[in-house]
Amino acid sequence: MNNMKYSICFISFFFLFMMMMVNFFFMIYFIMNDMVILMEWEIMSFNSLSIVMSILLDWMSLLFMMFVFLISSVVIYYSKSYMQSELNLSRFIILVLLFVFSMMLLIISPNIISILLGWDGLGLVSYCLVIYYQNLKSYNAGMLTALSNRVGDVFILIVISWMLNYGSWNYIFYLEFMNNDWEMMMIGSMIIMAAMTKSAQIPFSSWLPAAMAAPTPVSALVHSSTLVTAGVYLLIRFNMMLLDMFFLKLLLLLSGLTMFMAGISANYEFDLKKIIALSTLSQLGLMMSILSMGLPDLAFFHLLTHAMFKALLFMCAGIIIHMMNDIQDIRFMGGISLYIPLTSLCMNISNMALCGIPFLAGFYSKDLILELVSFSNLNLMIFFLYYLSTGLTMFYSFRLMMYLMVNDFNLLSIFNLYDEDYIMLKSMFVLLFMSIISGSFLSWMIFSYPYMIYLPFNLKMMVIYVSLVGGMLGYFISNMKIYSVNKFLMTYNLSNFLCLMWFMPNLSTYGLSYYFLNLGQSLLKNIDMGWSEIYSGFGMMQVMKKYSVFYNVYQMNNFMIYLFSFIIWMFILFMMLMFNN
Amino acid sequence: MANVPLYGVKTHAQKVCSLYKRALRNLEAYYDRRNVYRYQAVLLRDRFDKNAKITDMRKAVELLKEGEDELFKTQHPIPKLFPTSQGGVAHQRVVTPPDWVIDYWHPLEKAHFPEYFKRREQRKKEFIAMWEKEYGTADKKEEKH
Repeated sequence: MNNMKYSICFISFFFLFMMMMVNFFFMIYFIMNDMVILMEWEIMSFNSLSIVMSILLDWMSLLFMMFVFLISSVVIYYSKSYMQSELNLSRFIILVLLFVFSMMLLIISPNIISILLGWDGLGLVSYCLVIYYQNLKSYNAGMLTALSNRVGDVFILIVISWMLNYGSWNYIFYLEFMNNDWEMMMIGSMIIMAAMTKSAQIPFSSWLPAAMAAPTPVSALVHSSTLVTAGVYLLIRFNMMLLDMFFLKLLLLLSGLTMFMAGISANYEFDLKKIIALSTLSQLGLMMSILSMGLPDLAFFHLLTHAMFKALLFMCAGIIIHMMNDIQDIRFMGGISLYIPLTSLCMNISNMALCGIPFLAGFYSKDLILELVSFSNLNLMIFFLYYLSTGLTMFYSFRLMMYLMVNDFNLLSIFNLYDEDYIMLKSMFVLLFMSIISGSFLSWMIFSYPYMIYLPFNLKMMVIYVSLVGGMLGYFISNMKIYSVNKFLMTYNLSNFLCLMWFMPNLSTYGLSYYFLNLGQSLLKNIDMGWSEIYSGFGMMQVMKKYSVFYNVYQMNNFMIYLFSFIIWMFILFMMLMFNN
Repeated sequence: MANVPLYGVKTHAQKVCSLYKRALRNLEAYYDRRNVYRYQAVLLRDRFDKNAKITDMRKAVELLKEGEDELFKTQHPIPKLFPTSQGGVAHQRVVTPPDWVIDYWHPLEKAHFPEYFKRREQRKKEFIAMWEKEYGTADKKEEKH
């Protein structure tokens, strides 16, 4: 199949790319004419309770769809080469297409039932993609992913049952005028919980690095740019309802902590893909926190630019992993910029865009976010979380760059590294172009709000200060000298804590299952095999046996018993006749 | 488990060698630059060499236990593993189904490849004949299937 001129990869790429172009022109048309299309198809109506399938097309959904189509098309084109030796390539491509379909269903629906369809589809397909390599590690990671996302699905289901009270599930109609309704607040809290599971915020964040067991194209499409931003997108859609809610302040704290935790863990991590996943987690925290400060358009802006350069970063990581024969540990790597200069170019540019180096994609969204954070009335803790995380982004990006490109190659003494083919490179250049220009073109065309930002000089320069400090630290820790003391061993317990994501994977796997399995065992022993057995199964049999032995006596045709019962009966009759009068 | 000697290790010398190798691998995880690692490895070798001449077995066993304990307490949370080795990222990524799976195909499935299965059955018979000639017939009572 791979040798055919028009393989399934090329056909899917072509189709998705054309869809992207169509979406692009529609998006421009919709923005210029300020148009919104809402289509409804009534499936069932029952006592003024209507279940409808609705489609909402506005600039936001069209823009997001355009980005998803673009990334998925280049990722599929890339997989033609990346998954070349794969036997079940069609299965892989079909799963990715199913994923794109679920994503579309989620993006265009203003209706919570059709959102659930897309949401569940995302969870299921991402599970299938995580366990695509069928080894033990993938199975464990897939289970963790699927079950963490399942929590969010359950919250959406609860929202559906809460919204039964309103007679329709088109939440978009209720957002503005039911702002102070208690039920709407409950619904809002549950939507926030659901979004937190999909976007891997703090109690649920262990699944995102685990999901890196999936093939790298999947990580580029699913676990960096689209699936994980589904939660953010849902909250952007629900944003009007979420204003003035206590839960939103909690979300601000949790997402700030997620950002900080992921930034620190990325500095301790050695798995190439996990470092990038943790940086995704950090950026997701940034999006969530800016959203919870009441600036959904900025969150959407950062979502789009982040999707571009993070997908590119994963694709570069895929090339490196291929070149290194499946090795993902950056301790084995080094000096690769001499052997794969084009990939290194893409890697560096996407890393710089991630750090927010001026005039690349990340700069326009990230800088605006940070300045608005400095501008708004927040407490010191949130302020520090933001700026420390920005510094940490620079820190891990520099460390990664040093490990990959500057230090010596560390695996073999004789090696021959090279770029394999132009298929992967061509698809990367599309995203390279986008991660250079997407920030500026989006900020000029769409997000051109006249924010008036007025800050003191040092506060304005704060981003540059923390970035410089972060970059220097990144250089220092990756530059190990013979006599340098190992700081990891000196602070072993603390480093372990920070290295293992604040023990969150342990908490959400062993931590949860241990206590529930213990509880289950005691319930089994005490209830199932204990009391309920005594009162229903075994105990009932004993009672029946005992009484049937007793009643057997009456069935022995003993004449005396018949006579005795006859006498008693006569006596009762006699008494009744006596006292009746 | 870092505190358990590798499978098949029996003598004291083997246990010490196993500990030494695991300690080197642990050092590799901490010191990823080769020159730094070599320096640390020499220091580690020196620590082992100092106690190499101990003849008192009680003390040697005690030292081994201490070494295992130290290794366990300083093991790297993200060990440096080769991708296809146990615990690595690509371990058992490509699964080759065992040969006997084909025997459990449905007859209709087998009918798609008549020549292959005809030859396969013939070869199975030849193999059993060869086996019985070499080792004698199997006891019927012990047959599980």
